[in-house]
Amino acid sequence: MSENNKTLSFDLMGIQECQRNRYPLLFVDQITEAIPGKSARGIKCFSYNEWFFPAHFDDEPNVPGFIQVECLVQTFIMSFLCIDEYRGMKTNFVSIDKVKFKRKIVPGERLDIEATLDSLKRGIAKGHAESYVNGEFACCAEFVITIPDVLDSFKPQKDK
Amino acid sequence: MTNKEKYEEVFTDSFSLDKSKLNEKLVYESVPDWDSIGHMGMIAELEEVFSIELDTDDIIDFSSFERGKEILKKYDVDI
Repeated sequence: MSENNKTLSFDLMGIQECQRNRYPLLFVDQITEAIPGKSARGIKCFSYNEWFFPAHFDDEPNVPGFIQVECLVQTFIMSFLCIDEYRGMKTNFVSIDKVKFKRKIVPGERLDIEATLDSLKRGIAKGHAESYVNGEFACCAEFVITIPDVLDSFKPQKDK
Repeated sequence: MTNKEKYEEVFTDSFSLDKSKLNEKLVYESVPDWDSIGHMGMIAELEEVFSIELDTDDIIDFSSFERGKEILKKYDVDI
């Protein structure tokens, strides 16, 4: 991983070169700092034009929990998808643990996300992410994520 | 704890199995939890328990409970 000592940043187009999420399910707007193989920081700005606000809820728009989790994980995967050998690969969830939501996020607010990669081995990434609005804790989660293209290269041969 | 007991415990814990299922019929994908993700978890646990690091070819070749015993011999782990 020659990028290990670099600090990278990505705009929306750069994010889309690294990960495969797309509208309407690409949520992170910018990766302000990515240390390959270690961590990533991202931001997501919520405007009322988001497709989900009219439905959640019409009288009290706020960001659904699953979208908050997606913001966390989309920042988290940038900690390793920014590495050349993994860039552009698809990822899948294995598990999400210790999810906590502490505050409502409403139109006009910006979510600041901090993600840490605890381990990445043979296509399995483990780590955690926390997020804040104006410095106030918003939500967090722990993740286990696979990179199927990498994981599959370690699968046993059947009928042996 | 003997190497055999450690080896068996990795399998029972990784794949949520009763000890009675640890036999020659236990092969990759023969039980629900021994899928590609379960395989990596089991390999990681074996590496930690026996303080070894398996080569990629051996991870791919590790296709059964019995075959695993042969592979671990290469790493000076006798089951």
